[in-house]
Amino acid sequence: MIILRIIGSLLIVTSSSLIGYIYGKKYSDRLNNILHMKNCVRLLETEIIYGANPIPEAFLNIYNKGNKKFSFIFKYIRDYLFQNKNANLLDGFLSVEDVLKEELLFKKEDVEVFLSLGRMLGNSDRSDQEKNFKLIFMEIGNLEEEAREEKEKNEKVYKNLGLLFGVALVIILL
Amino acid sequence: MDKNGTETFNSILEYISPELSKKLWKIPDYIKKNAEEIRLRKEKPLMIFGGGTEYFLMNEGSVSKKEKGALITTHEDLVRTFQLISRYSVYAFEEEMRSGFITLKGGHRVGIAGKTVYGAKGIESIRDISSLNMRIGREKKGISDNIMKFIIIPPDSIFNTLIVSPPQCGKTTLLRDMIRNISNGMEEYDFRGLKVGLVDERSEIGGVYNGVAQNDLGIRTDILDGCLKSDGITILIRAMSPQVVATDELGDYKDINAVHEALRAGVRLISTVHGKDIEDLLSKKSLSWIIEEKIFERIIFLDNSKGVGTVRDIVEGYSFNSVLNREKY
Repeated sequence: MIILRIIGSLLIVTSSSLIGYIYGKKYSDRLNNILHMKNCVRLLETEIIYGANPIPEAFLNIYNKGNKKFSFIFKYIRDYLFQNKNANLLDGFLSVEDVLKEELLFKKEDVEVFLSLGRMLGNSDRSDQEKNFKLIFMEIGNLEEEAREEKEKNEKVYKNLGLLFGVALVIILL
Repeated sequence: MDKNGTETFNSILEYISPELSKKLWKIPDYIKKNAEEIRLRKEKPLMIFGGGTEYFLMNEGSVSKKEKGALITTHEDLVRTFQLISRYSVYAFEEEMRSGFITLKGGHRVGIAGKTVYGAKGIESIRDISSLNMRIGREKKGISDNIMKFIIIPPDSIFNTLIVSPPQCGKTTLLRDMIRNISNGMEEYDFRGLKVGLVDERSEIGGVYNGVAQNDLGIRTDILDGCLKSDGITILIRAMSPQVVATDELGDYKDINAVHEALRAGVRLISTVHGKDIEDLLSKKSLSWIIEEKIFERIIFLDNSKGVGTVRDIVEGYSFNSVLNREKY
């Protein structure tokens, strides 16, 4: 009987800790994805400002060079544009909105910054594109800072909360 | 060849907004084969020009010579088409925009008109695009085969040759094929291929796209793409040791000076000019200079009388006597 209780309590504690861990991990995942995005946008900047490569080639290069955890987005957009000749670039960016939110755990403001890239990309000459990139990097920087703060604040809290909740539950049940 | 004509036309449709290209797909094959230009103007009917005739695209995808019921090109059509041409990337075509046209894969050229923006170094770009003219580049291999015997001096030289024709009579197409023949050589005349240096100021002859010439210019041809003729001829002579220099559209004094430089270097020349006949050439100041100097030993006149690229006459540059007709009779 005691063995069963011990196993039961252990199960409760592990699963609640796991839930806490998963909740907490969301914050670090978001931060990591923002950092991956930043790197990809940096690659994109090089492609455009220094390489003057047209968007379809630039996107393919980023997909190949960048961290696949984020760079697949660019491949998605590229494929979308090839399939929908009527669409403009922003439509391509809008098509990945849900993927950003669901798979990459982006918040509304993160998605918005990424979409603003779609609004400005390819619309003007190189010097103007350069200015726009600067602005976007600034915005990504802000997001990064905010995501980091949030992660530090919440990740531990959720992890601890999960563990403590499990322990509390065990004590009550005992 | 015929099949090729429609395929070339269809290949350009992938750069046109889907709304329009769907309808352009449906037009009869004989028009596709002969089409030279597709013209898109904002809020104006879409026109297809070919073989000296103008056609309007109708709403349901047929064509008509009359304007009534013609399909009107909208602002969206132009924007979408331009997006496809520039591949969503205005920044990648800054240089091309400055010169007013973009070369597509396959050597087709798209002329652009709209609001020009001036910067410190002249035209910076073109905005608010109002017209697009898609010129279908047609490579016609073999069209010069019959006249090459008047141009070449076997085994390894050619006459300095000038091709004269009004616009849209196939000057560039003929020049392109002559370059190919000169560069590859012609066994039937015991003519060895020569090194050809081509100054392709308007990317029209080679249709260079991403650094690769889209048209066959022969195996011994070096192309200086997008370079001014006056600069290009000098560079080629210095750097590439060509035996023949080819250029398109001789016009101003700078070009003529460069031609003289080429002659001093002992290089053979082949070029084109706008014009109708000898009188017309002599009436243009800069050109009359080289005609009177008898630099060109062969002058080819083209016109539209029996379809685009009809060779009306080939004359000897010294006496202006026809060599083509002498051969015939």
